[in-house]
Amino acid sequence: MEKLQELINREREARELRRREADWNYINSLPPRIRVAIKLFIETGNLRLSQKISGLGLEEFVEHLRRANVWVT
Amino acid sequence: MEAIADASFLIDWARFSLRDLLFRLFRVVWIPEDVLSEIQSESTLMWVAEHLASGDMSLFPTLPEYRDRALRLVELSRRGPTRGLDFPEAYCIAVAEDRGYVVLSENGAAYAAQFLYTTAKVWRAYEVLWELRSKGVVPDDVIFTYQEETKHKFPQGDLQKWRSYRS
Repeated sequence: MEKLQELINREREARELRRREADWNYINSLPPRIRVAIKLFIETGNLRLSQKISGLGLEEFVEHLRRANVWVT
Repeated sequence: MEAIADASFLIDWARFSLRDLLFRLFRVVWIPEDVLSEIQSESTLMWVAEHLASGDMSLFPTLPEYRDRALRLVELSRRGPTRGLDFPEAYCIAVAEDRGYVVLSENGAAYAAQFLYTTAKVWRAYEVLWELRSKGVVPDDVIFTYQEETKHKFPQGDLQKWRSYRS
């Protein structure tokens, strides 16, 4: 139970950091599909779903995350 | 020791200047066919192809028994309070729990899975670097080099833990 709470806290911390450290100017400059996908990733951390929505290949999508200062965890 | 790698690990790790030290820890790193098809950049593909040729890496086929287990793991993960697994990570876990491999993945859902519903071990780059440091293969500050070179970021809690174990 303690471990579960630790994992939930870890998820919450990661989401807050993604939101806080994201380069929103960069994100808002992107085409709608990629912008929506990055926002979804920031909120959920779900890499494959976000990538599929972006319409990009996985590496290309991760490169946009890097440029947007959004970290994959 | 052998490992099976997910694309989320390979994409970052391939950018690291000390990336070949991975094979000091693992005799073979298996790459599922689906994961290979997700890798598209020339630099990552070059690194993977070089090691597939040398035998440090090997392709893992898509087998029905592991596909079935992977789907069950995805379903199981979606019922819990933590993030749900994606199929590629679930496939790596299904293989690893049966064959005793270590899963290499940066996916938080895969990391959480090892504490909740699978016997498979899941290592991120953090655990790989930790192991390399404990063997004296890399310096203490390697984790910061890794972050700089790959633009991957580790949680603050993990960095604090890393510093507290400085040799």
